[in-house]
Amino acid sequence: MSNNKYKILIVEDDRNIASFVQMIFETNGYQVLTAEQCRQGLLMFTSHMPDLVLLDLGLPDMDGEVFIRRVRAESAVPIIVLSARSDESDKVSSLDSGANDYITKPFGTAELLARVRAALRTNRSSLRAAALDGCFRVDDLCINYDRRQVTIAGEPVHLTQTEYNILALLSQHTGKVMTYSSIIREIWGAMDNGNVKKLQVNMANIRKKLGCRPGDNRYVTNELGVGYRMLDE
Amino acid sequence: MGTRKQMIRDGVFMAAVLLGAFAVNLVLLELFGTRSMIPMIFVLGVMLVSCHTTGYFWGIAASLLSVLAVNYAFTYPYWAFDLISPECISAAVVMLIVASLTSTLTTKLKCQEQVKAEAENERMRGDLLRAVSHDLRTPLTSIYGACSVMLDNYDDLPREKHLKLLQDVCADAQWLVRMVENLLSITRVDGVRVKLAKQDTVLEELTDAVLVKFRKHYPNQTVQISLPEEFVSVPMEAMLMELVLMNLLENAVHHARGMKNLWLKAFVKGNRVYFQVEDDGCGIPEDRLPRLFTGLLPSQTPRDASRSSMGIGLSVCSAIIKAHGGKITARNRPEGGASFCFWLEMEDTDHVKQ
Repeated sequence: MSNNKYKILIVEDDRNIASFVQMIFETNGYQVLTAEQCRQGLLMFTSHMPDLVLLDLGLPDMDGEVFIRRVRAESAVPIIVLSARSDESDKVSSLDSGANDYITKPFGTAELLARVRAALRTNRSSLRAAALDGCFRVDDLCINYDRRQVTIAGEPVHLTQTEYNILALLSQHTGKVMTYSSIIREIWGAMDNGNVKKLQVNMANIRKKLGCRPGDNRYVTNELGVGYRMLDE
Repeated sequence: MGTRKQMIRDGVFMAAVLLGAFAVNLVLLELFGTRSMIPMIFVLGVMLVSCHTTGYFWGIAASLLSVLAVNYAFTYPYWAFDLISPECISAAVVMLIVASLTSTLTTKLKCQEQVKAEAENERMRGDLLRAVSHDLRTPLTSIYGACSVMLDNYDDLPREKHLKLLQDVCADAQWLVRMVENLLSITRVDGVRVKLAKQDTVLEELTDAVLVKFRKHYPNQTVQISLPEEFVSVPMEAMLMELVLMNLLENAVHHARGMKNLWLKAFVKGNRVYFQVEDDGCGIPEDRLPRLFTGLLPSQTPRDASRSSMGIGLSVCSAIIKAHGGKITARNRPEGGASFCFWLEMEDTDHVKQ
């Protein structure tokens, strides 16, 4: 039984942070591995194959993004980045190079655990959609992929083609922050500046049609200056 | 940097002044038939150019051009150059002296103004630093104290005492986090040359992010929202603007005693978006209104000074809004309660701040 625990690799050079994060996970039933540097982290990654990696971006021996790319080259394991505030561009670039999520320091226990749970679940979300008659569900929102139809509490929501595509894309990556550019690439193909506005206008319409009020978004959250995330719990 | 733009502007200014002087001279010549005014008009032009351009170059260029113009059009032989006569050379020397003296004076004046502004800036920064270090010491003392009490008397303290101490530590740490965020943002906007990383931000998304955060900290306080119906996008540094709105809402929670309603409104008027944070609490004492955004509380407010980041919070707001080219104001509502209002430009004119 004890080997059924999720294995989490923490790559963090500050001992105090690493130790309290380790404590949080161990008391919540995860198995924890820690590494203080990227090289050590990569070694431990290949030898232990963890289920999730928690990565601090500001490590001394290697650029965090390089670490993400190396891991991504061989595995789809979820990576959550711990970042200091004020570097939005860092967030975007680490997400674009393959991280699943980021948490800004300082963070609370509940937030950290929720993000980790979400990331672990994301890995199985494609299975979940298939298992439930080809539908994606969060709260009272339901997306039927076969019929390209969205309903809230059983009531159909009338979305345009593009709006549906965006919502479906977010739902396929539920729990993960999708950056503006990655959404635009998937929906419109090309990347140019005017498109971010187009995406924002579409999202505004989607929110209106889903009946979301500011501060009360039950389905899709805004990550200001970064992108959007479909909630999954 | 804008030096190129500045150069073009100065050049155009000089050309306009000299052409103006030339035209005035032609008119005067026509009207009075006398040439006595001509050099005076050009000297005036050279002075104008030296006063209103940066550095020596344009003043001296203007003086040389003036000499050439006088020489060409208004002295014998008319409409032809005669550059070797002693009269021409002495005129040129006088013009040069006028130009360089004026330029020296204006440059000095500008320098002095800059020094004064810098000194003022430095003073404000010093005041802020003093206030901040004082404010930081209080929670740090209590965190340190609580931790050492627990470490030294771990087995003697009952469980609920432990819990109480830990809750205090947690609250103090959270306060410190917000304080440090404010300070970090000041270093972003309080430079000599501010370069903001502005991004088009959707009003609704900004409000949403602020409210989600606000609810996490104050789940019992409802905020009444009023936003424009249409899609509004404003160029701003979203993180900083989030901080401004958070500070204003938090201030209301901490300082508006007796508050029942808290409003966050945004509306569009002309090319500006106005934000309003209003409450129906106790309002702001009139004597504090004028100095509200300058970064310091009057020293005689020990009542809630221990955990009040109001002074710093508001000066951070003001600095951020200013860096965005907007303005923030505070007043008391006639119905009671405080009202903070600020505006931002909707289209980015992207002026370079010096």
